[in-house]
Amino acid sequence: MLMMARREGETILIGDDIEVVIAHIGRSRVKVGIKAPRELTVMAREVKMVRDENLAASVRSEAALSSLLTRFGPAAQASPVRVEKGR
Amino acid sequence: MPSVETSYFGLISYEPDSILEFPKGLPGFDERRRFVALQFEDSRPLVFLQSLEEPGLCFITLPVLAVDPHYQLRVSDEDRELVGLPLGRPLRIGEDVICLAVVSIREDGPTANLLGPLVVNLRNRKAAQAVAPESGYSHQHRLVPEEAPVCS
Repeated sequence: MLMMARREGETILIGDDIEVVIAHIGRSRVKVGIKAPRELTVMAREVKMVRDENLAASVRSEAALSSLLTRFGPAAQASPVRVEKGR
Repeated sequence: MPSVETSYFGLISYEPDSILEFPKGLPGFDERRRFVALQFEDSRPLVFLQSLEEPGLCFITLPVLAVDPHYQLRVSDEDRELVGLPLGRPLRIGEDVICLAVVSIREDGPTANLLGPLVVNLRNRKAAQAVAPESGYSHQHRLVPEEAPVCS
């Protein structure tokens, strides 16, 4: 991995189209500005992990749902639906 | 009472003030903003998060405290502002917010996402998936079955 030391306000270029600015250095975190072409997705690594997890978790088939319910115990009857009420 | 056709639960009716609104959607589902939470007597404590915009989209979730009774909730200022929660003090699960963990089914058993819990502001029903990298929680927290598998 390439390591570079930069000060606040300084910039790193990646290729011709990507610019990374060290916008602010705090005590325990840095604020980074990223300029990149629209088609490139820029996100924190944890957000990608959560996104991938959401995509895997989303039930988009009957089979997935029933497999879950059988793993959790007796299959839930989709009978009377109780919508969570607000407080 | 409005109702909506869903793929797994048939036609469900809901009260308008029970809609959960995700102003920025969920990561991977940025355009899905409105959900209702459903619970059934015989699948408690599971909470089904059904999309009002896509009949076939449903998340299976568990209250985080059912997964980990000592769960420490951390919500960034950015997420708090998004859903109108107060800054600068801990949030109380059950009083300020409802907090749900999304469940995934894997080959080797179900897991819950404790890294990015769904946080619902109880005052306005606005919600966000609050990714908390500093929390140290896993996005694939193993759900230990309550009973050992029965051998026959």
